[in-house]
Amino acid sequence: MSNGNGGSEGPAIQAIDVVKLYDNVTRALDGVNLTIACGEFVALMGPSGCGKSTLLHLLASLDITTSGRIIVNGRDLRSAGNDRFRRQEIGLVFQLHNLLPNLTAMENVQIPMFGTGTKHAQRLQRARELLAEMDLSDKEKATPPRLSGGERQRLAIARALANNPSIILADEPTGNLDSTAVDHLLALFRSIRDEHGVTILLATHDVHVAEAAGRIVYMRDGRIVESSQPEGERASKGK
Amino acid sequence: MSFLGLIPRNVLTRKVRSSLTALAVAIAIMMVVAMGVLTYSLKQTAISVLEIGKADFTVAQKGVSDVLYSNLDEKEVAAVKSYPQVQETVGVLVAGVNFNGNPFFLELGIPPDELAPFGVQILQGRAYTTDATDEIILGFRTAEDLHKTVGDQVTIDTITYNIVGIYSVGNPFADAASMLPLSWVQGRQRLSGYVTLLFVKTKPGTDLGALQAQIQHDHPELACVQTASQFGVVDRNLGLISAADVGVSILALFMGAVGVMNTSLMSVFERTREFGILRAVGWSRGRIVIMVMGEALLIALAGAFIGTGLGFAAIQVIKSLPQVVGFFHPQYPASVFGQALGVAVGVAFFGAIYPAARAALLEPMEALRHE
Repeated sequence: MSNGNGGSEGPAIQAIDVVKLYDNVTRALDGVNLTIACGEFVALMGPSGCGKSTLLHLLASLDITTSGRIIVNGRDLRSAGNDRFRRQEIGLVFQLHNLLPNLTAMENVQIPMFGTGTKHAQRLQRARELLAEMDLSDKEKATPPRLSGGERQRLAIARALANNPSIILADEPTGNLDSTAVDHLLALFRSIRDEHGVTILLATHDVHVAEAAGRIVYMRDGRIVESSQPEGERASKGK
Repeated sequence: MSFLGLIPRNVLTRKVRSSLTALAVAIAIMMVVAMGVLTYSLKQTAISVLEIGKADFTVAQKGVSDVLYSNLDEKEVAAVKSYPQVQETVGVLVAGVNFNGNPFFLELGIPPDELAPFGVQILQGRAYTTDATDEIILGFRTAEDLHKTVGDQVTIDTITYNIVGIYSVGNPFADAASMLPLSWVQGRQRLSGYVTLLFVKTKPGTDLGALQAQIQHDHPELACVQTASQFGVVDRNLGLISAADVGVSILALFMGAVGVMNTSLMSVFERTREFGILRAVGWSRGRIVIMVMGEALLIALAGAFIGTGLGFAAIQVIKSLPQVVGFFHPQYPASVFGQALGVAVGVAFFGAIYPAARAALLEPMEALRHE
């Protein structure tokens, strides 16, 4: 697996004075400024309703800002072709995994590859590789309802990686998992970042999960209030 | 799995609903096939009446409801004969009588000396005499059906005739009929001096179109018929049947489209979240449209396949009805199946275009929030 980090020399993600209003009243984001370097693993932390998911949706071009700019891999999202951008640059992982229940694991992984010009045999090979990487080789023909919560989330990560994205945006991916599955998933995220240089932004309200990242960004009431390195990360750098 | 392979998967995921929709389409297609075959066959049967004689074209009374109600008097016959381009004419009085379970058994009244110019070949026996009142010749198909031969008798409409000959014209419709002296049939039908159709043979090198135009110009009450498309001028009933056929196709299109739209819309509502996921992972709106339209097309084509089978069955039922025995000989032209296929594709297109657009226009976030 490889990625080109979007071919950009600058930061992977830049949010500049981003404001998001719902119904012109509810201020979900209130002047967010955030810069994430290529290959960084950042945890976005904060209580429910602080704007973590809204920010991720804007970064994924699933929604548009009320004001401010978002630049991903050097491209301003207001001018990016959204479908192609999501297909090529972004891998999305949701809390509820959002897999297609009638399709097998193999088929779910192939879904983002339609429309990319990838040939059938290549799609199959890529899906097999990803399932193997997620330790799901024996579940190729299983449909999501037959998988455990951890397996579904790993399958969702495999799908997110299908098109070699440069960025993975994960919205509370560990929310419904037990601690063993959480540890497994975090190890996977670290491995993806370390081995393939993928930029990861993971939203969570769980301190334990956030500490797996290289940097923690704290949000409250639609604003970024603090950015720090986890203790483990500081300790390893101090040695 | 390919993208196209996803389409049948989605259709089969909702087996009951897809089957019921296909059935609704099938009923619509059945109507199109049955009505199309019925119309085409009746038209061919009617046209074959005009093709009995070995003529260049046929003259009939213009604008009658049924070609067999055409009446040409002696003056009109003489007028057509008088054109210098006309080599010879044969006037035939056609009467339909109830015989042997066939409510439309044809008696063709022709003078015996015009049988040969008319293309009649006597296979057995001889022709009837001009003034005979009890002589008849049977088409060989009629003779076979009745197991009759020369020397036997046959009773038609309370009158018993001696079978003096068996003939062939090379036209299935005429070969399943009978021929009698013209004067006798005119008397029986109280149409003395009249014929139903006048078969016209022209001299070599005649411009048929110009001659027909001239006859119709000089005699506006007459119509010259040479091709199937001209037949409506002398048979309004057939025109009405053709119009009914078009009407049925439109109704079938409407009925099928409403069924497909209902199913597609329900499917789109149920799958809102799925469309949100697909959009979130980068599917374009166009791909969503193709998928929804493809699913509708697949259901419609399955309906067309079933409907064609049901149409064949309906034709067999219609064929056995006593009201049509004798003059409904089913023919299955490719155009009818093309029409059915066209209706099926139209059903899919008109039924699915709105649901597909609705699915494609869903905003990914809005769709992902859908429960």
